[in-house]
Amino acid sequence: MLETVDLSTRALTTGERDAPAKRRRRTKRAPLWVGILLALLCVLVLAPFIWMALSVTKPTDVAFANPPVLWGYQPTLQAFVDLWETTYFADYLVNTLAVAVISTILALIIGIPAAYALSRFPSYVSAILLVLALIFRALPRFAVVLPMYDISRALGIYDTTFALALALVAINQPFTIWLLRNFFAEIPPDLDEAAMIDGCTRIGMLRRVMIPLMGPGILTAGIFVFLFAFQEYLTALVLTDTGSKTVPVFIATQLGQTLPMLQQAGAASMLLTVPVILIAFIAQKYLVAGLSDGAVKG
Amino acid sequence: MKPREFWLLIGPSVLVMGGLLVLPLIRTIQWSLQNVHYGTPGTFVGLSNFTAALTDPRFGRAVLFTVIITVISVAILLVLGYLVATGVNMLTVSRPVVLGILLISYVLPQLVGAVAFSWLFDDNFGGVVNHVIAFFGGPKVLWFTDPVPNAILIIANTVWQMLPFAMLIILAGLQGVPAELREAARIDGASAIQTHWNIIIPTIRGVLGFVTLITIMDVLRIFDSLIPLSPQAQAIGNESIMLYVYSVAFANGAQQLGLGSAVNVLTILLILVMLTPFIRGIFKEAKVAR
Repeated sequence: MLETVDLSTRALTTGERDAPAKRRRRTKRAPLWVGILLALLCVLVLAPFIWMALSVTKPTDVAFANPPVLWGYQPTLQAFVDLWETTYFADYLVNTLAVAVISTILALIIGIPAAYALSRFPSYVSAILLVLALIFRALPRFAVVLPMYDISRALGIYDTTFALALALVAINQPFTIWLLRNFFAEIPPDLDEAAMIDGCTRIGMLRRVMIPLMGPGILTAGIFVFLFAFQEYLTALVLTDTGSKTVPVFIATQLGQTLPMLQQAGAASMLLTVPVILIAFIAQKYLVAGLSDGAVKG
Repeated sequence: MKPREFWLLIGPSVLVMGGLLVLPLIRTIQWSLQNVHYGTPGTFVGLSNFTAALTDPRFGRAVLFTVIITVISVAILLVLGYLVATGVNMLTVSRPVVLGILLISYVLPQLVGAVAFSWLFDDNFGGVVNHVIAFFGGPKVLWFTDPVPNAILIIANTVWQMLPFAMLIILAGLQGVPAELREAARIDGASAIQTHWNIIIPTIRGVLGFVTLITIMDVLRIFDSLIPLSPQAQAIGNESIMLYVYSVAFANGAQQLGLGSAVNVLTILLILVMLTPFIRGIFKEAKVAR
């Protein structure tokens, strides 16, 4: 089942351009109604953000009016100003970015060699490790995060950015090695042999030959691990308090408070949304490759 | 590759997963058999946490609610994911833009997406959806306090958030269907629906199975999005299994770690059962590769 997903990846990522000419001729162009339905779907997907962007840029009394006021008001960025001035949002944003960057770097440093080894050592050991990774990918997160809370308190590293980043490295490691392993599996093993006959050591070969070849695969894995860390709410909720709180946790605490705080939560959400939307567009090709090649979603 | 090299390369990853996933998991299993509070050693109580969980009507309701949400969401995700993937598969020039937009709800933090989603339904924010319903002559819907509309809201959000994933995997499957198969069906005079039903769907059966499994597992773990979507979850009975664990074992100084851990263990057992065919597949692959 996993292989079926792999096989089709290349066609999907390279798209129509590299497909054989024969196949391109056979592909029917989309009829108009399909285009209209998809355009409508895109609007529906975007609707929550459009509405949130409007609500956040309204003056507080207009934002909470029912029926909604759609025009005739003076747009304002007051919620953003308040967010910046009255909360520690900047700190939370720095924490969130730090967690995402640290965990991405660590996850790749330990994930790349592991994935390479798994792709080149076909044995029961590899199969067992991959199965364990699949199971860990599927675990309810509380089953590992609640003990982590207890352990991190005992060790005195509770509520530190590093502890949260490390927890996320471990939680995402199963996804990282599955994804990278599938990318490595597409590189012919003859290539490593050739480099090693030319005098490279295994590690030297990995660094000089594999990593440059794996550029897109590593970039894909990196984008995913970064996004997962950026998105994480549950783990951050349990493992942080005030010192290393992240933006999603902050947004959740603002809900159910006063109306201006709600608008600030919206402003924080918009600030978190815009870069992620940019990532979605710029890295679209890699996200698609990762989703279909990773076989296990994180 | 020599075994020594293999272990050298994989060592750090095994250490991290062993220390930060396996050890905590063992602790959870141990806790599930104990009466325990954070930071103190527990006392062994056998299986009483499991009986407590299984006889707690609140847990029963959480399971029922989670299963209903999962079944309906996954069914919608499969059908809608297939239809949208088929549509996107016909696109040529506009494909990157459409994929980029459709990916947005997947890459956002679930919590943030759910906050934005909830505002469309929230009467405090103008209640756009209620006004649309009223425009078509419908009644005023209490999306956050009425159990059934709240469940619909949660399902809608889940579908919105996971559709990109389902659609992309199915799209990958569709790309793998040989053009000759479609051609042959067309020459034999099959209609579009017949071609989909008899040719394409059976061909990508594996991919559909994979999407089903992953989406089931992910909806079973639903937690983040319920915070904004169902603030009254416990009162109206729309609690998910993970929200139940959170509230008995962690929230507001709750210390029933044993009970929470027992529920986690039960969930793990369920997931293991669902994963069995995949695990068998991986071992079969390993045997072939040797």
